[in-house]
Amino acid sequence: MAKELDPITLQVISGALETIAEEMGHVLYRMSFSSIIRESQDLGAGLFDCDFNTLCESESTPLHIGSIPGYLHGIKETLQDGEWRDGDVVIHNHPYHGSSHSPDIAIVVPAFHNGTLVGYGANTAHHLDIGAATPGLIIDIPDVYAEGMLFAGTKLYEEGKRNEALWQFIGRNSRAAPQLQADLEAQIASARLGVRRYAELLDRYGRETVETATNQLMDYTERVLRQRIAAIPDGEYRAEGFLDDDGKNRGVRLPIKVCVRVTGDDIEIDLTGSAGQVETAFNVPFEGSTKVACFCAIRSLLLDAETSEIKVPSNQGSFRPIKVTAPKGSIYNPEFPAAAEARFSQVNRVIDLIYKALAPVLPDDIIAGSSASLSFVSYSGVKPSGDYWVFLEVNEGSYGGRPQSDGPDSIDSLMANTRNNPLEDLAIHLPMICERYELRDDVMPGAGRYRGGFGVVKAQRMLTDGFITHENERHEDVPWGIFGGHEGAVGRVTIYNQNRPDEVRDMPAKFSGLKLAADDVHVFYGPCGGGYGDPLDRPAAEVLDDVLDDFCTVEHARAAYGVVVDLEAEVVDEAATEALRRDMRAGVAGTVPAPRAPQPAADPPAAAIASARPTTPQAPPTPAMPTPIEIAARLREAFGEAWSFEILGHRRNGQGVEVDGALAANGTRVRETGHANGAGSAGARLEAAADDSLRRCAEALLARHAGAPGRG
Amino acid sequence: MARVGVDVGGTNTDLVLEAAHGVFFHKVVSTPQDQSEGVLKGLVEICEIAGVKPNDIDLVVHGTTVATNITIEHNGAEVGMLTTRNFRDILHIGRHKRPHNFSLHFEVPWQNRPLVKRRNRIAVTERILPPDGRIETALAEDEVRAAIQVFKRRGLKAIVIGFMFSFLNDAHEARAKEIVRAEMPDAYVCCSSEVANVIREFERFSTAAMNAFIGPKTATYLNNLSDKLSQNGFRANLRVIQSNGGISTVETSARQAVGMLMSGPAGGVIGGRQEGLWSGNRNLITVDIGGTSADISTIPDAQVKIMNPRDSYVGGHPILIPMIDLVTIGAGGGSIAFIDSAGGFHVGPRSAGADPGPACYGRGGEEPTVTDAQLVLGRLDSDKLLGGDLPLDEAAAARAIEAKLARPLGLSVTDAALGVIRVINSNMALAIRSNSVARGVDPREFSLLPFGGAGPLHGVALAEAVAARDVVVPVAPGITAAMGLLETDMQYEHANSLIASLSTADGATARRIDEMTAQLVAACHRDLDADNVPRERRHIRKIAECRYHGQGFELRADMPEGEVTTANLSTIVDSFHRQHLLDYGYAFDDLEVELITLRVIGTEDVEPLAMARLEAANGAGVEEAFLYDKETVFDDGQRLATPRYDRGRLKLGHRVAGPAIILQHNSTTLVPPRYTAEVTDFGNLRLTRAA
Repeated sequence: MAKELDPITLQVISGALETIAEEMGHVLYRMSFSSIIRESQDLGAGLFDCDFNTLCESESTPLHIGSIPGYLHGIKETLQDGEWRDGDVVIHNHPYHGSSHSPDIAIVVPAFHNGTLVGYGANTAHHLDIGAATPGLIIDIPDVYAEGMLFAGTKLYEEGKRNEALWQFIGRNSRAAPQLQADLEAQIASARLGVRRYAELLDRYGRETVETATNQLMDYTERVLRQRIAAIPDGEYRAEGFLDDDGKNRGVRLPIKVCVRVTGDDIEIDLTGSAGQVETAFNVPFEGSTKVACFCAIRSLLLDAETSEIKVPSNQGSFRPIKVTAPKGSIYNPEFPAAAEARFSQVNRVIDLIYKALAPVLPDDIIAGSSASLSFVSYSGVKPSGDYWVFLEVNEGSYGGRPQSDGPDSIDSLMANTRNNPLEDLAIHLPMICERYELRDDVMPGAGRYRGGFGVVKAQRMLTDGFITHENERHEDVPWGIFGGHEGAVGRVTIYNQNRPDEVRDMPAKFSGLKLAADDVHVFYGPCGGGYGDPLDRPAAEVLDDVLDDFCTVEHARAAYGVVVDLEAEVVDEAATEALRRDMRAGVAGTVPAPRAPQPAADPPAAAIASARPTTPQAPPTPAMPTPIEIAARLREAFGEAWSFEILGHRRNGQGVEVDGALAANGTRVRETGHANGAGSAGARLEAAADDSLRRCAEALLARHAGAPGRG
Repeated sequence: MARVGVDVGGTNTDLVLEAAHGVFFHKVVSTPQDQSEGVLKGLVEICEIAGVKPNDIDLVVHGTTVATNITIEHNGAEVGMLTTRNFRDILHIGRHKRPHNFSLHFEVPWQNRPLVKRRNRIAVTERILPPDGRIETALAEDEVRAAIQVFKRRGLKAIVIGFMFSFLNDAHEARAKEIVRAEMPDAYVCCSSEVANVIREFERFSTAAMNAFIGPKTATYLNNLSDKLSQNGFRANLRVIQSNGGISTVETSARQAVGMLMSGPAGGVIGGRQEGLWSGNRNLITVDIGGTSADISTIPDAQVKIMNPRDSYVGGHPILIPMIDLVTIGAGGGSIAFIDSAGGFHVGPRSAGADPGPACYGRGGEEPTVTDAQLVLGRLDSDKLLGGDLPLDEAAAARAIEAKLARPLGLSVTDAALGVIRVINSNMALAIRSNSVARGVDPREFSLLPFGGAGPLHGVALAEAVAARDVVVPVAPGITAAMGLLETDMQYEHANSLIASLSTADGATARRIDEMTAQLVAACHRDLDADNVPRERRHIRKIAECRYHGQGFELRADMPEGEVTTANLSTIVDSFHRQHLLDYGYAFDDLEVELITLRVIGTEDVEPLAMARLEAANGAGVEEAFLYDKETVFDDGQRLATPRYDRGRLKLGHRVAGPAIILQHNSTTLVPPRYTAEVTDFGNLRLTRAA
């Protein structure tokens, strides 16, 4: 091994690698034809070494970033003739051999330098249609074979020569074959460019120097991330939520359980306890999607691109400190041959719940509950010529309130980051037209010191008969508020015909292959984010601005924020506001701080909505006190899984910290303040105060429970 | 007969005056509160220097950051917007993509710093439908009037009108504008179809809203400057440089203020092109290195390129206005070098700016910058910056590098300083590659043209890093941008979306294209008529912005001379394939080519600066220009006694062999060992490597 390189050379090579990845991504999305790639930039591209480590990766969409190593491992298992040759191009999308999901086809080109295999140029891109059971998107299908064409280690080019039979086969097995083939060509151009640039880099600096540099750069990225992880107090942090259904078995909710385990500078995301695998395509490929989502969650939280001065190279080092656990046979790690195409909402919710779990220890870093789902719509139809048209639309979400700012409105959330299609462009090229595109006005986002973001309403009208599949979530589990912030609002989907606007059909979040008639209008209402912090602490002037901007109604300003607005004069009634806020503050003690959406009482395990239970094994404030684990055991004994603990807020109190928490079970809710003083990090004190709040809540609730007749 | 270019920068206002008896340069301190004060002072002074009277000046070409500063400070007008019912939030939603992939605490410029507050975006009933622009629902004029009452009550002074599909039919926008004009006669009003008559609602609205946001202040500034000039005896026409490199009248600039937004770097690129022509180079890569950033542009065959509209943003807002294609990176003399907590070595993008500035400025800056590194390497002489106006503290520079870089890394101060230069050069070289190699341009056929005061210190290193054929140093690298003002053309542009397949076009389509082109040509002529430009000095360029059917981005294709017919549509198609091949390395010859927008540019030829040919050396040696020797460290670590030469005393044909440093008032040129600087006809330096 070469001796360690100086940081200056390292920086020079790091910049060169980053430029190569950006150039690869640029060529891919500029050349491509389907809007899902060129506008939505649903793609990833980069260079990888012989051990499948990511050396560099383009800034495209997060779910692709970090997924390609899984593909490369899968190709190793399946590679046609078992050997790479110069000029080969492999096409691969098998979800049980490492792909992110089957429409994300990878193109991989080996990099040879002086006759030796030195790595790979590779990219992934989401394709419009790969010949699945229904056009574009699929949900209600029996198995992975209904997802369409599956490629595993298949050589589209052998030593520079295209396999024409395969190319023709692809051309005959997609409803959008011209786009599929043109987009594959763009992918090949991008991967070949990457390989060429990598060879130039090796020529310039020598293979040994470049490989030493790439290893050091991975170590560097890993080191930065580990420093950030080490700053989080050790412990286990949990949160739960649920998914509406699997797209077929209506009313059967699917629990999500997230445990974040921090040990020194390692972090583990454990999804044990989440739903078992489902019988539709609503499963998540483990290697290509579950893991990648967890990487994205940690990177966004700990290496925030907006607040970090340094730009950490995007490479394998950012994945190494993170372990992801999901049992085989669960929704996050399904077993062959379960279908696993519609997987986005499930993993976006994992990210959201990781932040909820960490709220007690990272209150200034996490954000309140976001839409954290995805609305992915496939509109399609058959042209007079008999050919299909297929259009994939990604609808935006919204963010939860943040420690220092409101949650952004109508924007791709968490792991989603795509561009919409200009409505004018769409209407000129497809038999569709948009009827409405603006912020929702039927609900309010979660109130808070910093409010949640607004969801969108987007109404698309079909001009001819066609089909629609909607992969969507979050019609039941409300985005959560935090530290006294109110919860947001769930999403909604309706369909009506333009000619009978009063006959509105409320739709479930997911549906597959539905026939639409001309003039049918499909309306998506995106979920709204939860609030962060107590709405009574939001300055009245900001509430007034919100009212004037129609981000808040006069009634909502009064009910949620305690602010009385004179709309005619466009001013705050200061005296009335002060009085109202005083009353609300006084009245709030010991009660639920905010009006909550009605929660169904049935179905107890899934109804356990909010649960940020700090169950750290660390020492509690005094040794005589029961540990959180002991408390949890007592609560389970009394209530099974049907209890939840929520952190409402925290504040400084002299040297100490106070945390308000609420424990709910059996329709009863108690709220207690926990205290912690003394030494240790702010995070450790917060944790201890949260534990204390849980302990006090549990004592109160268990006492009430013991006293209640006919229970226990 | 004389003309002046006056370019306002953050620190200095640069002036160039050309008269029959020569070309004169001058520099005054900028007056950020009201730029016109510095401009006027500079104009009066340069007239005295040149010995001409104010009323001898025929033309003043102005480069100003007034419009740009409004966007940086976000202190434009409070704008009211009329938009289509059910589409109130197009400006708020944008393209729904976040600025960062991995961030929770990100800003969303169009939501955090909106051009039009939501309360002032009022939707009215009207609807125009594609593909033909027919009116489905008439404009509800009573709703327009009701909205205007709200705007008036709130005291708004700027109104933008943006309706869906107005690029197909502007009748509703035009009618709404009439009503606004009638009811708010003093307001600044513009329609999206006037400002950027192209498809894509968010980008079109954003461009028009930006125009309304910056319009009133910009117009006030220009009119005020115009008045001041006439009060002081100037009767010259005042012209303003635009983002596309052309110049325009005060009236047009005030109406279409958005056209000035990216004019800052435009003068430099145009000036750079002219330096290339003087030195016989038509293929250029210009690198304008300032205090905090570097602007990089590629000029093939003396043609300034226009940015793909997908990439043109100002302050996070998309602006669909043709602007010169350049990349800006955070690399300049003030860029700070630092080591992060995990041992990573970085230079920039954070900058020490002008205050406190680099450590060597002695204004309290403690962090080492690129300028500090140049100083400790002996490449800047502490008493020579700006001709000695700004003495530098070399010890302070060395202390900063020692404390923040050398000691933590276990390097010598010299090696640490070399590292700073290496990283900053690498950052710039990568940006040059992304603007050249990645776009089908081979730098081996290009000359690198470095400017900005510090540019020529980096020229050779950058040329080597990107394999450019040589380096051409401008006559006055510190004021290349001001000189560019006198070297560009009067320019008008008109565009209209026309969506049609060219591969399957019939006679009717060809006629539509021809008719619309003719209308756009006529519009350009009307503008040029208004400026009294004689016919023989006019140039009309017709452009078809096309893409492969289904793609999302257009490229510019040439149009046939004369009438457009089915027979010559292939001219456009062929030109598009060529452009696609050049930009992306591929062309799809069998795919359908779709026309999206027609654009016509009318220009008036302007005479370039009449630079005098330099006096020939006639056998006199370079010794006459020799100043003194001083130790200088070069990129390979060699420390050599290096002669300094006075550029003002170099003559045509002189060859200065490296190692050498060539000094002039506002710039320093580094000639490394094995390189030679040759003085060309008009005083450019051409640096080439010895064979």
